[in-house]
Amino acid sequence: MKTLPSWKLCLLLLPSIGTIALLMGSTLYMVVSQSFGLHNMMGDSQFSFEFWQDSLQDTKLHVALVYSVKVAVFGAIGATIMAYPLVLWLRKPFTGSTAITGMLRAPMFIPGLVAAFLMVNVISYHGIINESMIWLGIIDKPIRMQNDSFGWGVIVLQIWKQLPFAMILLAGAVNSIRSDVLDAASDLGASSWQRFTKIIFPLTLPALQVSLILIFIGALGDYSFYSIAGPKNAYSLAMLMHITSTEFFEWNKSAVIAVVIMLTAIVASLIISLATTPFMKKTGKLK
Amino acid sequence: MTAQTKNGGLIHKLSIGFFIIINFFWIGVPFLMALLWSLVDPKHPWSYPDMFPKVLSFGRWEQMWETSGLVEALTNSYTIAPLVALFTVILALPTAYAFGRIEFRGKKLAEVVVLLPLIMPGMIIGVFFSSMLISLELSEPFWGIVIGHTVLALPYAIRILSASFNSVPQDLIDASKDLGGSSFTTFRHVFMPMLKPGLLASLIFCLVISIEEFNIAFVLGSPDITTVPTILYSYLGYSFIRPNAAVISLILVIPNVILMLVIERLLKGNYLAESTGKA
Repeated sequence: MKTLPSWKLCLLLLPSIGTIALLMGSTLYMVVSQSFGLHNMMGDSQFSFEFWQDSLQDTKLHVALVYSVKVAVFGAIGATIMAYPLVLWLRKPFTGSTAITGMLRAPMFIPGLVAAFLMVNVISYHGIINESMIWLGIIDKPIRMQNDSFGWGVIVLQIWKQLPFAMILLAGAVNSIRSDVLDAASDLGASSWQRFTKIIFPLTLPALQVSLILIFIGALGDYSFYSIAGPKNAYSLAMLMHITSTEFFEWNKSAVIAVVIMLTAIVASLIISLATTPFMKKTGKLK
Repeated sequence: MTAQTKNGGLIHKLSIGFFIIINFFWIGVPFLMALLWSLVDPKHPWSYPDMFPKVLSFGRWEQMWETSGLVEALTNSYTIAPLVALFTVILALPTAYAFGRIEFRGKKLAEVVVLLPLIMPGMIIGVFFSSMLISLELSEPFWGIVIGHTVLALPYAIRILSASFNSVPQDLIDASKDLGGSSFTTFRHVFMPMLKPGLLASLIFCLVISIEEFNIAFVLGSPDITTVPTILYSYLGYSFIRPNAAVISLILVIPNVILMLVIERLLKGNYLAESTGKA
């Protein structure tokens, strides 16, 4: 590793970081200023809290917030819980384990819209699951899974799409645990469950945190899954933001929703970190 | 190696069998359904209570190719994506070099800033980037989409390329310089061979990201510019036509999977180089 004079360094960093900062910064600037009535797309620009007050009292926003948070929470937890056993199973390489990992990663390479379509085919009213269950005599009439009123369709979709991501993050942490630590625990009489709760879980908590936070944020601001597999009568935050701006042309209110999405993401990340950090203290002597 | 017990071997076989069955439903069935739907003959619709389509043909593919806006969308997608890949890699190279080979204050911060586009929800970027373009009175959706996609692809390109730069062993660079090699010679004969897989991988990755990106293309492009994902969305949304959606899904996903497999190959070679080098 070498060092460089700072002007040369700036020249190296400017092209990409400059582009990112310019676009992200200006988008963020537009969001925040429009939520306070500045840079108005229609009419005069004037600083006001009006849009915030209006939007925060709007039940549509409350419903969308609860719905999006619900899906994001279930999605993040679901994907991580499913990732753990798979990652532990694949910890030690065996014949065919690379092929299995490859298969499991497939959903990551599939564009979101295609994923939604694939899943909708399977869970639709006369889809393969319903038809097979009727054929097997488990149910009498089809269950509504796509566009169901709770949003299970979207949650399953999020888990399907995000599982490989959670697996990659957790695999890094699980594979870095040395086998002798686990062997020592077994020698001392620890059961598999104890090894999981006392060693693996605490040592993989940082990866767990990152995976929960990133999946939560991704699911919270998503648009396509909600709009294709979600309940027909409910808007997610991103859907509400999109129609508020491009269909009703209420750009300021739409900006408020964008800020709400970002604030929720930040608050949720803090809650996830705060909630999981106490468990990390258990790592103490093992490190 | 731990010894395998008799039951251990059985459990192992059972777990693989169980996995194959579950995974068939988790990934195989969705794909087979899409394939089947795309082959449903336009003249013989597949509807409840038929268990299987009555007639299978490539009629739907021909029909989509000839009558829908698919060709135009494909042209747009495959014009935008190479531009995005090129711009992204050019912008990313200097920064990746700095991240991979230079120690400087604030490096951690810079690395976090680079990741910002990944965290910001795509729809927020779409809607408010478009509102900014409107207020700047720039209304060229094509270039708007190219810029948006470039920013989304930058974090990936920077990460892949900085790993490649990082993998070049310092002693090779030193050797080249000791033997009197100029910066250009060193770059050509030391950096280039190690960078090639990463370079190619990041070009392909950017291509894939741009081709499959929906939010920005949807908001900025409507109604003038359609890309493959936006046309797919139109068949999934208001006018839900399942066989058409199946055709477009496959057109979108097949090149993607092939390209991603190529990347996986390329990066594996790169890691191999990294592990043999003593950087």
